[in-house]
Amino acid sequence: MMGRRVRVSDMGRKGDPLVEIRSQDLMPIPAISANALQEPLSKGLTEQQKRELECSLDGFVAIGIPRPKSHQEEEALVKKFLEGLKKLFEKENNWTFLQPLVHSMDCCVKCQLCSESCPAYVASGRKEIYRPTFRPELLRRLINKYIKGQGTFLLKVTRSDIELNFTLIARLAELVYRCTLCRRCTQVCPLGVDNALVSREIRKLFSQELGIAPREIHEQGTVQQLKVGSTTGMTPPALHDIVAFIEEEIKEKMGRDIKIPMDKKDADVLLLHNAGEFMSWPENIEAFAILFDAANINWTLSSEIAGYDAVNYGVWYDDVQMARVAVKHAEAARKLRVKKINVGECGHAHKAFIVTADRVLTGDLNIPRESVFPLLEDLVMSGKIRLDPARNNFPVTLHDPCNIVRLMGIVEPQRRILRKICPQFVEMEPHGVDNYCCGGGSGFAVINSRNFKDWKVHISGRMKLKQILEAFKDVLDPTIKKYVCAPCSNCKGQIRDLIDAYHLGQGHNIRYGGLVELVVNAMVDIEKPFIVWE
Amino acid sequence: MRFVLAAFTYFGYLFIITMYSVKIIKYLRLPMHLRSEVYPVIPGDQVPKEKPYYENLEWWTKPRQQNKLHRLWFLFSDYFFLREYFRRDRGYWLVVYPWHIGFIFIITFHILSFFGALFELFGVSVAPNSSSLFGIGLYYVSLATGVISFVSGLFGSIGVLINRLVRSDLRDYASPQTYFNYLFLLMVFLSGLLTWIIADPTFSEYREFWKGLIVFKPIDVETVEAVHILLFAFLLIYLPFTRSLHYITRLFGFLLIRWDDEPNLRGSLLEREVEEALEQKLNWKGPHIQSGSTWRDVASGEASPGRSGV
Repeated sequence: MMGRRVRVSDMGRKGDPLVEIRSQDLMPIPAISANALQEPLSKGLTEQQKRELECSLDGFVAIGIPRPKSHQEEEALVKKFLEGLKKLFEKENNWTFLQPLVHSMDCCVKCQLCSESCPAYVASGRKEIYRPTFRPELLRRLINKYIKGQGTFLLKVTRSDIELNFTLIARLAELVYRCTLCRRCTQVCPLGVDNALVSREIRKLFSQELGIAPREIHEQGTVQQLKVGSTTGMTPPALHDIVAFIEEEIKEKMGRDIKIPMDKKDADVLLLHNAGEFMSWPENIEAFAILFDAANINWTLSSEIAGYDAVNYGVWYDDVQMARVAVKHAEAARKLRVKKINVGECGHAHKAFIVTADRVLTGDLNIPRESVFPLLEDLVMSGKIRLDPARNNFPVTLHDPCNIVRLMGIVEPQRRILRKICPQFVEMEPHGVDNYCCGGGSGFAVINSRNFKDWKVHISGRMKLKQILEAFKDVLDPTIKKYVCAPCSNCKGQIRDLIDAYHLGQGHNIRYGGLVELVVNAMVDIEKPFIVWE
Repeated sequence: MRFVLAAFTYFGYLFIITMYSVKIIKYLRLPMHLRSEVYPVIPGDQVPKEKPYYENLEWWTKPRQQNKLHRLWFLFSDYFFLREYFRRDRGYWLVVYPWHIGFIFIITFHILSFFGALFELFGVSVAPNSSSLFGIGLYYVSLATGVISFVSGLFGSIGVLINRLVRSDLRDYASPQTYFNYLFLLMVFLSGLLTWIIADPTFSEYREFWKGLIVFKPIDVETVEAVHILLFAFLLIYLPFTRSLHYITRLFGFLLIRWDDEPNLRGSLLEREVEEALEQKLNWKGPHIQSGSTWRDVASGEASPGRSGV
């Protein structure tokens, strides 16, 4: 298969991986040597995994569907897949996204205008399987043959005579986890087609009908969150311990005695953090506590199940899980009788809770929800907090989380803040609604099993790596401290992995962090710098 | 022959109007969906930007900026610019633009010919020496749209066909139907052009044909013109089986999906719609789903675990 162009009709052909990703094919980045990468990029699978799991898409594994042990097992899988496919087009089963799906399936003319917008496609060296129109075209042909039941002549005319077997299903399941759902392709389509949504809908088919999804976003993700409270596994008692630790940290580092309000009734604001912040970036929680305390905001955190973890992985793959998590979040707020909910620095949580779940929550669960960015902007611009930009006198660039910027339109508040408090703020190109995904979108930031991390670091994240290096091209000297402001937990996770993989910390003195940390770092009333350069 | 031409023309128009209406109604009756908007609303710098309301502190207390006229203007004007193609794939724009202009103008030309015939029946001469300014205007506009359509459409058809054959990214996603569509349209434009050159340089004969249709007294036309009329009638019958409806559904795709950021405010009509949607039963069979329960019960955890789809 390798060596010639891969076509949609190849998806069901058994055998070798459809494509092999080689470092020489990848989009070049001037500051990074291709030789620095070890070949093949899709290393890391054991012989047993190769034998037992379907990994013949591109050699990488995000889900790892076990091969069927018998013909009957394969037939059962095919049958279930077709049942799910049918349900995607039924009003009762898919009222949630039927109209956008039908529109995209019916209207695309495959002009390929969207292809160059896709960072994974371009960064991979334009591998055909990653082209935004590839997956929808496969689905279209399957629908023609198996749902519409086109006859032999029409199948030839529409090129839909395609065999549905385990290989195709397993490859398709993997392939929909090679799209970060950043929706840059959607943004450019003159017909309003949303090819990323088609990927998301196929993910949904796999999850809602076949129970197939990456372990990190289903079992360890939404299922765990609904059961114990957080995708990190953090329980309410553990949360209390961590918050106590954070309070001590604030006291030790900043000399401030701040009590973080927990489960305070009738507060003005319920602040909903991504629990990843508690575990990996507690400085983000600290910064919010310091700032809100200084601004006298009547706020609280919740320790209800899911009320302290803003993540909602359901938005990437499963409407049912998305709705369940959103309801839990809203219930936590209702219980505390808060006036509004502010979603912290987490992109997909913004979109899931404020936008997607907007048409799920009704009645007393329909509590006003907003991004924390306008609130931060108000604090910074109103003069309520005294700030000294000289404290942030180092090069700063801003990553735009797709969910907050392209998918919610929140573009300027964070920029106005940075322009005010960071004298060396420089935009990466492109930026704003046109910015590229970090490469960790749609769950990739948390999918680390088997060899998937290599894919997201070398392919989906490659464009972001290039943007960061280009933004800092005049100050790459390692004696100059540089800061990538990534106001989203998942983006931070992905940028951390990029910095590690390409040694940007040691090599170029590039570090990353959130937005609120920069605000607190500029606070005049804080004696020591808040941001610590390691 | 005249009866065949008349029958196909009547049927062609009736068929396309019926089929498009059915399809559009079906499209518009699709259920309300979860939001999946993409920003910016109205790309580029054609019109002033709308400030996205989520940028406002406590956005629900403030008026939302939304200029429906700007949105419509952008969408309609883009039919005549195809801005994204121009911006991102200039080479393809060079052929796809005349092709689309050819298509829009051929529809316009045939509609104008119908109205030209109608006005002539009411005594308004549609000719360069007409005593009515309106008649003179209609004559020249019909002539221009017809000629522009045929020339532009023919050039575009050849261009898109060559592009599909030559460019692997387009070829790999094309089907025999794609090529048939291009060739069919090419024949329609070519026959129109030949009609203008050989048989009907002022399109007066075509207006006569339409007059015959309106008063149910079909007339004969020159062979080349008959071929064009027949091909155009076939095109009308064939279009509903292609993706051509995107000319219309594109508007819905933007207005009802990509730019649909209508928030679900408490006590609103939208909220009532959401409540109704949540009462529907779902039949997904994933192990974590209580198949047969309502969306509301499944989401709130009130669905019976015994009804699991496992």
